[in-house]
Amino acid sequence: MTTPQASVLDDLPGDLMMWVLILSELAVFGAGLMGFLAVRLTDPPGFAEAQAHLHSTGAGINTLVLVTSGWLAALALEAARAGRRARLRALLAGAALLGGVFLFLKAQEYADLWAAGLTFESHAFYTFHMLLTGFHAAHVLAGILLLGLVGWLATPRAVEAGAAFWHMVDLVWVLLFPVVYLI
Amino acid sequence: MKYQTQKIALAYFVVAMALFAVQVTMGLVLGWIYISPNFLSEILPFNVGRMLHTNSLIVWLLLGFFGAAYYLIPEEAEREIHSPKLAWLQLAIFVIGTAGVVVTYLFNLFDGNWLLGNEGREFIEQPRWVKVGIVVAALIFLYNISMTVLAGRKTAITNILLLGLWGLALLFLFAFVNPDNLALDKMYWWYIVHLWVEGTWELVMASILAFLMLKLTGVDREVVEKWLYVIAALALFSGILGTGHHYYWIGTPGYWQWIGSIFSSFEVAPFFAMMSFAFVMVWKGRRDHPNKAALLWSLGCATLAFFGAGVWGFLHTLHGVNYYSHGTQITAAHGHLAFYGAYVCLNLAIITYALPHLLGRDPYNQVLNMVSFWLMSGGVVFMTFTLTFAGTIQTHLQRVNGEGYMDVQDQLWLFYAMRFGSGVAVVLGAVLFIYAVLVPRREIIERGASQPAE
Amino acid sequence: MSVTRAWAWLIALTATSTAVAAIGLSGRWLALVVLALAWAKAELILNRYLHLAQAPNIARGFALGLALFMLALTSLAVAIP
Ligand code: HEM
Ligand code: HEM
Ligand SMILES: [Fe+2]
Repeated sequence: MTTPQASVLDDLPGDLMMWVLILSELAVFGAGLMGFLAVRLTDPPGFAEAQAHLHSTGAGINTLVLVTSGWLAALALEAARAGRRARLRALLAGAALLGGVFLFLKAQEYADLWAAGLTFESHAFYTFHMLLTGFHAAHVLAGILLLGLVGWLATPRAVEAGAAFWHMVDLVWVLLFPVVYLI
Repeated sequence: MKYQTQKIALAYFVVAMALFAVQVTMGLVLGWIYISPNFLSEILPFNVGRMLHTNSLIVWLLLGFFGAAYYLIPEEAEREIHSPKLAWLQLAIFVIGTAGVVVTYLFNLFDGNWLLGNEGREFIEQPRWVKVGIVVAALIFLYNISMTVLAGRKTAITNILLLGLWGLALLFLFAFVNPDNLALDKMYWWYIVHLWVEGTWELVMASILAFLMLKLTGVDREVVEKWLYVIAALALFSGILGTGHHYYWIGTPGYWQWIGSIFSSFEVAPFFAMMSFAFVMVWKGRRDHPNKAALLWSLGCATLAFFGAGVWGFLHTLHGVNYYSHGTQITAAHGHLAFYGAYVCLNLAIITYALPHLLGRDPYNQVLNMVSFWLMSGGVVFMTFTLTFAGTIQTHLQRVNGEGYMDVQDQLWLFYAMRFGSGVAVVLGAVLFIYAVLVPRREIIERGASQPAE
Repeated sequence: MSVTRAWAWLIALTATSTAVAAIGLSGRWLALVVLALAWAKAELILNRYLHLAQAPNIARGFALGLALFMLALTSLAVAIP
């Protein structure tokens, strides 16, 4: 049976379930970011003061790292479609490596906050900062593992799913970065 | 009925319905105690009656799920059940365990005994020996159905059903974790209570609904399966961390307020998807199945679950709201409509669908059955409204104005009286339902032309 | 647009956000500028990296959702006293 609704979904580039996941993640992070800005209205000076303790340059570099990593993953999908296994694996390894760089820079920020005695409970700003970036970092870690898995499978379908997850991680970060670090 | 072993389901459904009758009757007793607090206070204290009401609810719903699994798995897997003997043993263990709980509580036996005494945690009060029995019975059940599915055809419906049932049983193991620290105790307690109704049971609900839609509307399996996977993914995504909405005020760290608020708000999504699923399937379906009552219960289930769990759940799930409403009659309003819509209606839907096949009759007495739907659902919905009003007033007087708990309760009398009235309708509806599915052997009121049942 | 060109755009937009913060723009104007840049980046990732450009109907749905979200974020960001 053909249905109008099924045909719209058939246009989706990639697996339906991956898109369900992407939408769910966007919704959750989106709600978190709106919650953050809403709570900020109750204490602007406190939020500004707390934000000053973050590494905003490091976070800017991390944006460059992630979008570049996403670029490599997108190229890997093209290689997978062209049937070039060695190239796709090399590209995915590059993408995963940059994911590692991202996590390394992130860990330094956490370590410095920790050393300054700033934790989850110190201020509402840090509760949000650590929840949002912590959840995001957990997704980066999961994404690195997933890239490893799909690189091993090396089929176009698998690489497409892995890359889609990785782009979602990217997308969340470009929205999170200005809200938490800059404004 | 295509497979002989599907007959096992009949016994499960009958026991389930008997407990259903006990459960709602007990609710009525509780409702009366609210109006006349000394009623039965010597023989049946409120806390014991409440325990019987909620526990018989859980047990009969589980028995209904087991029955549903024994009914639908042979049809899906295209195999007889692996071992009917084990299925009977499992039922016997459940019946003995339930009787043990009732006797232990009614006569307050073995108080404080490690093995035989009750454990006093809502929904999982069972004495430890009963808990062990439940685990054994669950293992028997899982072994039995998993063997059947593994030997036969694997479908999305059996996959998700098995996932839900395995999760349900594994989570119950937390019933054995009972730390002295009250905050930790509660934390684990919610692993069961919340991750059941807002996680694994939702998977069971989605797969049984999918089975019913497949049979009743004749929509392609492919379409049904796509929906089923999406619903299951949404349920797990939102439900697992949604547990946080119970961690606001029990001594867990403050970040749970945000995790709980955000994730549990998205719990509305799977319930909305289930409602859309049911209506879209019916709308697209080409089959005019004679069992109209089963369709009514299925649609009612998806709709009332969306309102009870989704809307009434969202109503008090944000921590800013829950700070005021926590543990008031608003919670009770939500608890009733959610349990009724999602799981009571689900069981009654599959029972309505399966019993004519199991009893070898045409789906007779659709009219009586449908009347029972409207009577029971009307009763529960009305009860939900009275409790919601009562809860709103209670929240304001008690939590905002700071009046004493009992002073506030006195002022809510009118709502409790109305709740009792709606409770009578629910009990009558339940009795009518049981009569309509079990007794009549011929149509009392003419039904329209139809095609043979599948 | 190829993914490589999309990547070049993303780098340029990111550099611009960092630059406007570095030249000392602050407050509401900073919020307006960097949120607009983030919006552009998000559209690029959706359409080019995730290939929604191939499915215009779905891309429109996402664009609408994202626009509403950015509107909400911007209102919350500039509402600061
Ligand atoms: C199928 C129908 C019913 C379902 C699914 C159901 C479910 C429940 C649940 C889940 C609870 C625990 C609520 C909580 O912890 O907040 C409860 C408690 C209760 N129920 Fe029911 N119930 C049903 C029918 C009834 C009926 C007919 C009455 C009678 C009027 C009733 C009266 C009560 C009362 C008085 C309590 C105790 C509330 C308290 O502790 O203050 N229930 N029920
Ligand atoms: C079919 C699914 C559901 C059932 C059967 C159900 C049932 C219940 C019950 C019985 C309680 C009372 C527990 C107790 O304290 O004894 C409860 C509490 C609660 N439920 Fe649900 N629920 C469901 C889904 C949901 C959903 C989807 C949401 C959120 C959107 C939600 C939000 C809540 C909240 C916030 C509480 C705590 C109330 C308080 O603080 O007193 N529930 N639920
Ligand atoms: Fe819950």
